[in-house]
Amino acid sequence: MLDLAPFYLTLKLAVVSTAILFVISVPVAYGLAFSRWRGKAIIDAFVGLPLVLPPSVLGFYLLLAFSPQHAFGHFLEKYFDLRLVFTFPGLVVASVIYSLPFMIQPIQNGFRSVPVALKEAAYTLGKSRLTTLTKVLIPNMKGALLTGCMLTFAHTIGEFGVVLMVGGNIPNETRVISVTIYDEVEAMNYHQANVYASILLVFSFLVLISVYLVNNRAFKVDPYHD
Amino acid sequence: MNRITFSIVCVVMMIAGQGYTQPAARIRIAAASDLKFALDSVADTFRKTHPGTVDITYGSSGKLFEQISNSAPFDIFFSADITYPQQLKEKQLTLSEIYVYGKGRMVLWSKKADPKKEGMNTLLLPSVLKIAIANPQHAPYGKRAEEALAYYKLMERVKSKLVFGENISQTAQFVTTGAADAGIVALSLALSPNMKKEKGSYFLIPEESHQPLEQGAVITKHAQGNAYAKIFLDYIKSDAANAILRHFGFTKP
Amino acid sequence: MIELAIARKLHGAGGAVNLNLDIKIETGDFVTLYGPSGAGKTSILRMLAGLLTPDDGRIVCDRQVWFDKSKRINLRPQFRNLGMVFQEYSLFPNMTVQGNLEFALQKDQPKTNVEELLQLTELEQLRDKKPALLSGGQKQRVALARALVRRPKLLLLDEPLSALDTAMQTKLQDYILRVHRQYHLTTLMVSHDLNEVIKMSKRVLVLEDGTIKKDGSPLDVLPLDNLKPFITGNLSP
Repeated sequence: MLDLAPFYLTLKLAVVSTAILFVISVPVAYGLAFSRWRGKAIIDAFVGLPLVLPPSVLGFYLLLAFSPQHAFGHFLEKYFDLRLVFTFPGLVVASVIYSLPFMIQPIQNGFRSVPVALKEAAYTLGKSRLTTLTKVLIPNMKGALLTGCMLTFAHTIGEFGVVLMVGGNIPNETRVISVTIYDEVEAMNYHQANVYASILLVFSFLVLISVYLVNNRAFKVDPYHD
Repeated sequence: MNRITFSIVCVVMMIAGQGYTQPAARIRIAAASDLKFALDSVADTFRKTHPGTVDITYGSSGKLFEQISNSAPFDIFFSADITYPQQLKEKQLTLSEIYVYGKGRMVLWSKKADPKKEGMNTLLLPSVLKIAIANPQHAPYGKRAEEALAYYKLMERVKSKLVFGENISQTAQFVTTGAADAGIVALSLALSPNMKKEKGSYFLIPEESHQPLEQGAVITKHAQGNAYAKIFLDYIKSDAANAILRHFGFTKP
Repeated sequence: MIELAIARKLHGAGGAVNLNLDIKIETGDFVTLYGPSGAGKTSILRMLAGLLTPDDGRIVCDRQVWFDKSKRINLRPQFRNLGMVFQEYSLFPNMTVQGNLEFALQKDQPKTNVEELLQLTELEQLRDKKPALLSGGQKQRVALARALVRRPKLLLLDEPLSALDTAMQTKLQDYILRVHRQYHLTTLMVSHDLNEVIKMSKRVLVLEDGTIKKDGSPLDVLPLDNLKPFITGNLSP
């Protein structure tokens, strides 16, 4: 009775997008946090665009970019046999782009929250910037990293406009849970829509609770309380 | 921390592995929203004798046409307005001839008032504050609704009350939930179980008030080499399928 | 031997200060930098360490050029053979005491260095504790030990004892002197505590308005008029 495919598809999209975005974001956020290049403001603004732009604007430009009728999409299809419009890989690319600020900004702030003196101490001990990044900075900003992942994950699960435009609502391929719920409402299957929506609500709530619990317990050492 | 990482990796692998067992026969259909219940039924009975996967995406015909023109992976296109498959044909994106599977009809549907009493003039009642029609820009039922309103010289007086649904399904949803007090929706939807149980009534809008809603189906270029697609289109022409379409109000053209 | 000939414009709370020095420090010296707050003492240390870039000048350590404006040489801190103890300790919160020390080790250095320093600074009992659970004095000892694990030749101390109580200060001053002798270090310490300066160093540089106004032994150079009644021991006339 209840089709579980949209759930698996949505989870897959969220997990893959979050993983890819994490790998991309650490170096970018590092650069944005510490570089003194004047062009930094441009990159900062670019990263923040998805926060301000309506999803339809983003979806529209992505659709144009991915379409095989236009240069980029055509190039991908010709040389990589890869089509991004109406496919799952296309959704992943779209997700990575519109969730950019949700991963980069928390990590950027995380980098800045580590006291500069720690970085400097590592340098005076002869440690390279890479070693300092992996052994000193990252272990001391785990909360920020987790926040970035959690926000990105949640944002990807909730996205609707861009997904619908770029993905096209294709069952088992791009019909994620948000689109499915919309579909069911449209078809006046209100009961079905309610079941899907409730599951999603409970799931999101559980994810948030567990993240907050882990965050509070694992990362704080308080010498004055048990 | 390692245990957490391990379980995350397990979950990721489980999720990523989903959905890779698929039967050989498979088609993806793009269908106009007015076919929602009719085509679902047809597909169900079809699969009993021809097992395989039939994935259907419903939407407004104009939107689906746009997507197919942009290489959306659909094998068969069922359009509520025959001009769209015709345009696809001109663009050389079709494989088969266009099959006219029926003519659509429109009704004036309302929960608040009884459209049977006043007919089209129901729209002028003071209790009717919002009227839903499909978006004329890309939904055929929307265009025809506008034509009917003009025919009955109601357009000027109701223009400010109009709200637009993305497709004819959403339009129906507006009236069943009461967001709109009345609406012009497809007969095929009004006859569906979901709408029937909503306790509204409708008035069948006379055909002479608008251009015909000739519905056409065509196999797209994407279905190249997909025998299952041809089998499905042949099935639509069969008596069994026709009976279902009739049941939902699609008249023979 | 260290040559420090640098100039830099500093912007502080009291306005701009033009820092300008030209000094030489002999190997094995224990030198103190003394002066009021905001004079630029910390900045001098940071420039020596490579954490701040001078506007002009030269820094040479044991015939290795660390900085030369005219030749565009500016060696990064990682490549300067020094150990630094920061005013805020800057211990790595994610590592234990032992972890902090082991992190400082270079690839080819033996772990015995770590053991030795743990013993020298009497930290063996605390080796498995994280910095958050240590007292101020303990943290300072760890910072000192960590700066020395890789056996640098130069030790820079930025007001290392200012946040501690008198008893702890005395104890740590002894530790510092001990390691200075044990490892034949050249030490440059910033302090604004007169007693400390007198006790620990043979040479004081008095920094005022960006330049070294006085350079000599503590008793010759420091403003001791207020303290003379309190200083016991032999004073040369």
